[in-house]
Amino acid sequence: MSKAVPPNVIPPLAQKFGGLLKRKWFRELVLLVPTITRRRFSNKTEDYGVFEPSLVSHIGQLSIYVRDIARSRQWYEQVAGMVHSRTAEREPHPAKSGWQIRCCYMSAIEHDECLVLVEEFDPTGNISTPSGMSFFHFALEVQGNRLEDVLAFARQRHDSGFRPNYGPVRHNSEPPLGDGETGGNVACYLYDPDWNNVEFCGAMDTIQNYRARYGDTKGSERA
Amino acid sequence: MTVHADIAVTKLQHHVFYVTDLDRSKAFYTRLFDLQFSALNHPDSSAAMRLSKQEMHFFSFGFHHHDICLVKHHKLAMDNNSMLHFTLALREGAGFDAVRARASAMGLAVRDGRMLASAKPVVRAFRVQDPDRHWIEIIEERSR
Repeated sequence: MSKAVPPNVIPPLAQKFGGLLKRKWFRELVLLVPTITRRRFSNKTEDYGVFEPSLVSHIGQLSIYVRDIARSRQWYEQVAGMVHSRTAEREPHPAKSGWQIRCCYMSAIEHDECLVLVEEFDPTGNISTPSGMSFFHFALEVQGNRLEDVLAFARQRHDSGFRPNYGPVRHNSEPPLGDGETGGNVACYLYDPDWNNVEFCGAMDTIQNYRARYGDTKGSERA
Repeated sequence: MTVHADIAVTKLQHHVFYVTDLDRSKAFYTRLFDLQFSALNHPDSSAAMRLSKQEMHFFSFGFHHHDICLVKHHKLAMDNNSMLHFTLALREGAGFDAVRARASAMGLAVRDGRMLASAKPVVRAFRVQDPDRHWIEIIEERSR
């Protein structure tokens, strides 16, 4: 892991207690002040269930900065089961004059070159250190896409020595896995070697199952 | 009992990135792409958000609960130094020209072509920056 730890990384002690968010009493304790002041009821965490077509089909590609392509490639191969497609020669940085980048393209089973690991070089040739502050996380869908698949994925990685920083949880309010969030996706999160937070997920609510499961009730009404 | 072989990932499913002004970014993404605001996780009503000092606004492309999510960190400042870009692939026949026209009407600086010179070719591509200067590449893919 990179020595420079971004400020949004969950401290190790907090990671140990993250599982408490699956307990309703703990969530109620954390929310005691906004409950008493009633801000909780004017700033509700809830689903809106609006599923109309947009102009977008899917996220095609994501490029993230890394310090060492070889190190990151190995991590995404070992942990995510991704496949190295190719690593390109250095090319001009598309947004910074005089800078260069080198791109390593990684593929998932059904998604060709969906992740690009990028080394960034300043005009003197020094490689940049990723800040960790452009995105909170990105999510890769686990093969099978069911609750039990994500749990099995988490168990396999744990047995291989890769510990999640959070999860597995389910992002709804249903025990025993629900953490009070929204989306319905089962998820576990791991930091890559540059402290980029990667969610491994499955079973997210869709337009097909949302209304069948919940009707018109919103998230706060389902808790 | 189900026995799993080593499980891999099938696809990039969603992306959750930082913004500085949720309302401004929300207007940007809904106006440019017709994205649907699908959920809110607020630190006054979510224990996880309260502990992490964040607020999350979720958007759907029209099938999953969320595909992108805008996050405001209430204590830390975001930057553009850990992500270079992300790509949004338009639906077939959804109107590449229409989105491009919207981008121009919104006063965005439009650059034609792919973000990465080494990326594989697509039918058409252009890129713009959102209000936080995140680079978004918009592509029209070949029919699958």
